[in-house]
Amino acid sequence: MDENKANDEHPFLVAELPTPVIRRLRSEQGESDRIRLAVRSDLAPDGQFGEQWLLIDEQTLWVIENSGSQALLRYRYALDDITHSKVERCVGNALMQVTVDERPQVLLHYTNDLMDQFGRVAHYLCQRAEDGPEMPVPDPNVNNNRCLVCGRHLLDSTTTICPKCVQGSKVARRLVDLARPYWGTMVLIIGLLVVGTALDLMPPYLTRVLIDDVLQPGGQAQLLVWVVLGLLGVRVVRVADTVVTNWLTTNVSARFTAGIRAKLFAHLRTLPIDYFDKNQVGRVMTRINTDTNELQGLVTQITRFALNIMLVIGIGAVLFAMSPSLGLYVLIPTPFVIAAALLYYRYMRPHFKRVWISRWRLNAMLSTFLSGVRVVRAFAQDEREESRYTERNDRLLDNTLQVDLAWAKFFPLVSFAFAAGGLIIWYAGGKAVLAERITLGTLMAFIGYLGMFYGPLSNLTQISQAMNRFLTISQRIFEMLDEKPQARPEVPVVTRGLDGEIVFDRVSFGYDPYYPVIKNLSFTIKPGEMVGVVGHSGAGKTTLINLLCRFYDVTSGSIRIDGVDIRDLPMEEVRREIGVVLQRPYLSRGTIAENIAYGRPDATREQIIAAAMAANAHDFITMMPEGYDTIVGEGGAGLSGGECQRVSIARAVLNNPKVLILDEATSSVDTKTERKIQSALDELVKGRTTIAIAHRLSTLYNADRIVVLNHGRLEEQGSPVQLMDRKGAFYNLVQMQSQFASLEGVVASV
Amino acid sequence: MQADYGTLQLNYLDPNAVHFCRQGETIAMTSDDGQSYPRVVLRNCFPMDRDSRYLSVRDATSEDYDEIGIIQDYRDLPEADREAVATEIALFYFVPRISRVRSLKNEFGFLYWEVDSDKGPLEFVMRDNVIHYVRPVGPDHYMLIDVNRARYEIMDLSALDKRDQKLVRRYLSL
Repeated sequence: MDENKANDEHPFLVAELPTPVIRRLRSEQGESDRIRLAVRSDLAPDGQFGEQWLLIDEQTLWVIENSGSQALLRYRYALDDITHSKVERCVGNALMQVTVDERPQVLLHYTNDLMDQFGRVAHYLCQRAEDGPEMPVPDPNVNNNRCLVCGRHLLDSTTTICPKCVQGSKVARRLVDLARPYWGTMVLIIGLLVVGTALDLMPPYLTRVLIDDVLQPGGQAQLLVWVVLGLLGVRVVRVADTVVTNWLTTNVSARFTAGIRAKLFAHLRTLPIDYFDKNQVGRVMTRINTDTNELQGLVTQITRFALNIMLVIGIGAVLFAMSPSLGLYVLIPTPFVIAAALLYYRYMRPHFKRVWISRWRLNAMLSTFLSGVRVVRAFAQDEREESRYTERNDRLLDNTLQVDLAWAKFFPLVSFAFAAGGLIIWYAGGKAVLAERITLGTLMAFIGYLGMFYGPLSNLTQISQAMNRFLTISQRIFEMLDEKPQARPEVPVVTRGLDGEIVFDRVSFGYDPYYPVIKNLSFTIKPGEMVGVVGHSGAGKTTLINLLCRFYDVTSGSIRIDGVDIRDLPMEEVRREIGVVLQRPYLSRGTIAENIAYGRPDATREQIIAAAMAANAHDFITMMPEGYDTIVGEGGAGLSGGECQRVSIARAVLNNPKVLILDEATSSVDTKTERKIQSALDELVKGRTTIAIAHRLSTLYNADRIVVLNHGRLEEQGSPVQLMDRKGAFYNLVQMQSQFASLEGVVASV
Repeated sequence: MQADYGTLQLNYLDPNAVHFCRQGETIAMTSDDGQSYPRVVLRNCFPMDRDSRYLSVRDATSEDYDEIGIIQDYRDLPEADREAVATEIALFYFVPRISRVRSLKNEFGFLYWEVDSDKGPLEFVMRDNVIHYVRPVGPDHYMLIDVNRARYEIMDLSALDKRDQKLVRRYLSL
């Protein structure tokens, strides 16, 4: 038998197929050796957990149900008959559908765990239907959403290694690298900690001297003042040591985390836009703010652990050295202390968490109420809101009381455990003193050391938790630092002086590669031409812009400006030549002048004013108390939507780009403002290649050409007049809107 | 009676004028006025009510799953159609109901569940974020959402055995 090629590609498949399925396949004229793709669903056709297999060979697709003892053929289709395929989310499961003879046919359901695998199969079937049987068969079971180390499903989509597999040593090494500038200080801190530990060990020892050698009948009374002075000296040095240690620790941890924050932000700048789509703003903020803060807390905590370890070992050694037998007694309460500390986590933490959650709920409700107070009043719902608030407030009160109650029960119990440990020593030590095996001073020193022993010991029970947390957070931070920056071309190919001809050449693209948003799109925009892009929402208009600005790169095909693939142009070049006016303008914090000169900080005042005039913004700016010096953006003066928009248009004017993109620039303003913006835009588009996306088709009246998109495909294109004559998709859109417009007219005339 | 708010009207389908038929995993609909849809999608408007009312029937062959109409109560359908619809809904809403918690633990900000359910034993993982992923439905009735956006229900927490209840209340801070 000749070696099967497909088998070589996916050698694991056949081994994985259950025997009943293989047998069923044979009886249906299939050969397991020829199977090129196999995916297992975890649901049976009746909607219970079960097993179904979707198998594909060169020509055929099978769905076979395996009930354990036997397998049943559910579906069989020739691949050539399948014209389309897709997956569809249900609730708690999803389904896969194929289209055969224009009839949709659901093949099977599967749980959400398998979304990726079946998504890949559906994508492959679609591609095969479009590009023919030469399409390479993908391996749908390759899962990039799994931990690189153990292969478990990754739960946090922002990481590539699961927390369990975080390699402590590797992370630690990188942390050490990052901490290199602080080495000197850290060595100093460790030295101070050792000194501190030694100092802590001294007072009980001096107490022993005091009792045994000084305060005895016939003792050396002249030593009394020296011993007391010694005790005072130890305390003073200890205070100084603590102050310096704390200061240094805070200093190092704060600088260390500030350094990491700076690194993270610097790295953010280089990341491709899709990183920001995949990671919600909140999550990135958490990474940069909360995680680094926690890291700082943990660094401090770890210093405390280090001190405690030294103390526990030091005290333990001293205790055993002073009296080995009493030292053993000290160990008796140790398990209780550790148990109490662990119990604390188990018992108290849920209580604290409950309080935290009910406080969050109360605050959330309050903030919703405050931001929506007009609506509440308008619907006369004050009373109901009040009772809702009261209800949540009562809940918080309940939970707070419960914590206090739990604490009131827990704390005395733990104190008792500690005190009981002391009592054992009093008894055993007392007997030893009476039998004159040890001196009274030794016993007193022992009691003194004991008081210092259990605190650090119980603190050390949290060490593994803290270390885990520390490594996980560090890992997350490194993950973000390791995120690949957007690819940049090595050599700039083209210099300045673009004409502005844009060619979309068989462009396909999907944010998720399995769900293309732009499909095989081709059209050309001539230099200086104004093209309006229209279509229903979801047609791919904004995606087109994202591709042109290179926020994303095309999946296949190319976009060329003046004959050069934009992927071969330096990013800065592309962005400099393209001016964008977005639906929701972004103004950074600063003066209006700074915002207008955002792309060209070296612009003169004349240029700024001229740009503002061209954008119809000069008048309202000069009327403001601080004119062009008005602070806008985060926390600044509240400009209206139309005003912001005109500032952003002035910014685009000043940038003087060859290509101008208007993405729904006038969609969120009233008609009067829209006219103002429109006249500003009319000025701006002169002599530039312009792509305008608009919902209100009236704003495209002066477009040279209209491109109509429908579900990522080019539906029709031509001049507005041509398209109106053709009575196609554009005509229909216009009809729909003019009905609206006449409605608006009626409303306005009332 | 038709709900009427000015121009807005629900497009109710007459339960005796539409017919549902399952072919394998696909449910098709025909209506007495001659319309035929090779595949429809059924969505409960109020899935948490768990009853047969307000069923939105949508055309799966249209790009945006356009609504064909609403069935006010699918129990009014003739028996065969009713069964076809009920089967489709059971397939669509795969929400296991938890009857026993075998193990529940928290690791690195995720809760790992091992439970028995009406669909059989299962394991799932959810984020340890009660505010977003645990939804109170009614008294002692909760819906959990896992990392894959799959849903699970605890129909009556107080009906679970004491140990399970304690575990769930502790980890979900209830």
